Amino acid sequence: MRFVLQRLALFVVTLLGVSVLVFAALRVLPGDMAQLMAGMNSTPGRVASIRKSMGLDRPVFEQYTGWLWGLMHGDFGMSMLTGRAIAATVKTRASVTFPLIALGLLAAMVIGLVFGYEATMSHRPAVRVMFHLLALVGGAIPALWGGLLLILLFSKGMGIIGLFPSQGFPASGWRQPVQALSSLALPALTVGIIDGATLMRYTRSALTELLSSDVIAMTMASGYTRRQAMVRVGFRLALPQLVSVTGLLFASMVTGVMVIENLFALPGIGYGLVTDLGNRDLIAVQSELFMLAAFFLFVGFIVDVIHRLLDPRMRHPEQEG
Amino acid sequence: MLRGSHGPISFGVRFEKFRACHIIVVAVDPSGGEHLAYQLIMAKSAALEAVALPGDGEPWTGLARRNMASTQGAHDFDGATTNRGVSNRKRGNESLTEGHVPASMDPALQARARHELPTYDVWKSNHKSKLWVLAIMTMVVAMVVLAFVRPPARGGDGRPAGFQTQSAQRVSIGLKLAPANLDIRNQSGSSLDQVLIGNVYEGIVARDSNNKVVPALAKSWVVSNDALRYTFTMNTGMTFSNGDRLNAEDAAWSVNELVKRGYHDAQLLKHFESAKALDNSTLQIVLTAPYSDLLWVLTGRPGLVFDRHARYDMKTQAIGSGPYTVERFVPNSSLTLVANSRYRGPYRAKTASIVLHYYNDDNAAINALKSGDIQVLAPITQSLSGPFDRDSTNYDVKVGEGTDKFVLAMNCKGSKTSDVRIREAIRMAIDHKAIVASRGGVDRLMGGPIAPLDPGYEDLGARVSHTDVRRAAKLLKEAGYDRQNPLALRLEYANIYGTELGDQLRSQLREIGINLQVHVVEFSTWMQDVYTNKNYDLSLVDHNESHDFSQWADRGYYYNYDNPEVRNLYDQAMSATTEARKSELLQRAARVVSSDSPADWLFNYRITTVMRSGVSGFPINMNQALMPLWNVTFTHE
Repeated sequence: MRFVLQRLALFVVTLLGVSVLVFAALRVLPGDMAQLMAGMNSTPGRVASIRKSMGLDRPVFEQYTGWLWGLMHGDFGMSMLTGRAIAATVKTRASVTFPLIALGLLAAMVIGLVFGYEATMSHRPAVRVMFHLLALVGGAIPALWGGLLLILLFSKGMGIIGLFPSQGFPASGWRQPVQALSSLALPALTVGIIDGATLMRYTRSALTELLSSDVIAMTMASGYTRRQAMVRVGFRLALPQLVSVTGLLFASMVTGVMVIENLFALPGIGYGLVTDLGNRDLIAVQSELFMLAAFFLFVGFIVDVIHRLLDPRMRHPEQEG
Repeated sequence: MLRGSHGPISFGVRFEKFRACHIIVVAVDPSGGEHLAYQLIMAKSAALEAVALPGDGEPWTGLARRNMASTQGAHDFDGATTNRGVSNRKRGNESLTEGHVPASMDPALQARARHELPTYDVWKSNHKSKLWVLAIMTMVVAMVVLAFVRPPARGGDGRPAGFQTQSAQRVSIGLKLAPANLDIRNQSGSSLDQVLIGNVYEGIVARDSNNKVVPALAKSWVVSNDALRYTFTMNTGMTFSNGDRLNAEDAAWSVNELVKRGYHDAQLLKHFESAKALDNSTLQIVLTAPYSDLLWVLTGRPGLVFDRHARYDMKTQAIGSGPYTVERFVPNSSLTLVANSRYRGPYRAKTASIVLHYYNDDNAAINALKSGDIQVLAPITQSLSGPFDRDSTNYDVKVGEGTDKFVLAMNCKGSKTSDVRIREAIRMAIDHKAIVASRGGVDRLMGGPIAPLDPGYEDLGARVSHTDVRRAAKLLKEAGYDRQNPLALRLEYANIYGTELGDQLRSQLREIGINLQVHVVEFSTWMQDVYTNKNYDLSLVDHNESHDFSQWADRGYYYNYDNPEVRNLYDQAMSATTEARKSELLQRAARVVSSDSPADWLFNYRITTVMRSGVSGFPINMNQALMPLWNVTFTHE
């Protein structure tokens, strides 16, 4: 409990720091939203009036405290550009990004765990080397290139085997579940292959370490085959480590899928962030970045808690000596 | 010593074959030498436990089963010290398949091994394994279903295709620049004009595909002899999409609000005095001085008519009188238009619903077209349109006229570019034909500031059709620079135009001794550095506006260009009372500007549009500025 409270306090302090950092970083960026909105051929008077209507003429400190006050009340503000509540916009975007991440993570886990397991357990050195190479190559593929390759292979219209749409998300979103899901298939696979390779390397190293440990020997002495020992006991012991990696992978995917979202024209969080930044929609960008930072920290916090739940040794480190 | 000999043990069971031998492997593993004794004890005790297995008829427990397995291992280990173990080793892997090798010399255990030990069954033995296998199988099945059992091919209207020729109820169009909101009164950007004017909002007057003024909400107009009074006769029986009636009062209110509140493009309404409704169907606009561009200006944002009674958030909604209404708008992503059921004018929508998709990435847009997600793509990069051009049975590729001018501005007050010799040298050194050819060869050489379709246009392309590197180098030398002492210039432009143009210019200008540093930046950064602060040497922008000669007569514009003769000619043109006179004056002014070389006009960009065969009525000319969609249909098999 003390641990949780400590972590929570750290969470709040870090968030405050993040808010200052995000706010300051955006203020030093070149470019003026009012000028962008007024466009070329506009008069200086018009730019000034837009700036005033957006509250950009107020002192910076006042702008910051106003924003922070809103955040404390759960109000992320309205986008100056789109006139929509930022929380609602992020929610809409998250309905694309999170399913994409979930599917991508699923693919990554299937690829990473199964292949990582085989890479460790196979008796043929050739097979082990092959999996090792796969992990290296998979991890080295740039997301953009991997995605393009999958488009060329499996997209409707362009691909050799036209299975999935390669572009966009249905305008009505998840109300068309089949279309929505199939439009996420290729992006998720791209993410899955690349992150699966990372996960595969972690799985492999975690299992290899276990394989030479007493635990597996002990388990096998109790009557399991090597594979069973690994699946039932080994994986369980490797779990805390894999949960950490998967947690971090999950968090990094939120922005990591930015490239993928751009390639597949998916209106997700990363894609939206890039667009908003390009438009200098300051309140939107700062609230979105703040939410992302909070999310990262939250995932880290959850991973730590799960870690402790899974691994009793961490709960009483002093007793371990 | 037994490491790797996995063969000898077999119960004729699929999942068990490695079980016992692994214990041996571990037990004799040299690296685990200190554990050897422990392993041996474990194996032995397991064997002992196995002896105490429940008898026939007694229920098997999981423990018992596991013990049995251990037993085999233990016995095998025991056997390894015997001749049998050796013989098993000799047999190697053959025994794996045979499944009849005695697991033990103990007849009782052997008997169990053959007959009583239940088959290890992954479905029954372990709940967790079962879940795993189930999960994996479900996923495989789901993927197969998703991959192969797809819904039948559908046409754009959502009905199964392939029965007969029919008009689609929905047409999807791919575009490039997306609006961030729908507030056409405040938000700049041609993407809003493109989508909303003529489709959702209508103006007092409109433009045809040749950029000429045609009737819209006003069916006719009369201009007084002194060109100060414009009297419009409005159509009758018009309504907004919310049901409110539209009359001259709304038109007068809209124009007055624009001027009063300084909405976007209000500055275009020069010499404006007042707008008033003489009656329900007569609108009069009064000017303080003649302004020959007034009618054309009213075809754009200043002439749009809004509902003076409606209260709505203009950023997210649009209530107009056009043939379409906005059904759904996802900023930067898509916009869905549906036919306005209250529309009674001549441009009634022929297709019930039109979805506009925005693609930042050219490849993404092309993928969407090929896969049938969209039926029209405007624009397509000309150099990527080849495959569609060749596939004429499925696609139509059309090139339209536009008013886009790719302007390489040269800061007339820049520390180096204020020297006209340097500016002229740059113009001479640029190989315009090569640039146009590299873009697909359809763009037009310009040589001057006015595009075709705009008043005052004349073909000044000859001015830039010959590249004269020697003369350019000579001019530059006069200015004090050559290849040994190169002139360093900075070119800054927005990343929406790609990097190729910058690279081409850099390599072409290197020939005469200009070291061009190319900075491709975000549009907002460009706005600040170049447009607002005028802190630049060279800048590149696609000026897609029409009737925009005023830029060259505005001393405060970012070009920093000032020529009183040009200003005078422009002023005269704007107060001309006939189109012919206006064109003639603008033509003269354009020639002067071109000879002063405040910029180089790289080319007039012509828009390439690709459509699926069966699409008709889509505007080809100027479709990035105005894109009336009422006439669009898609007929498919």
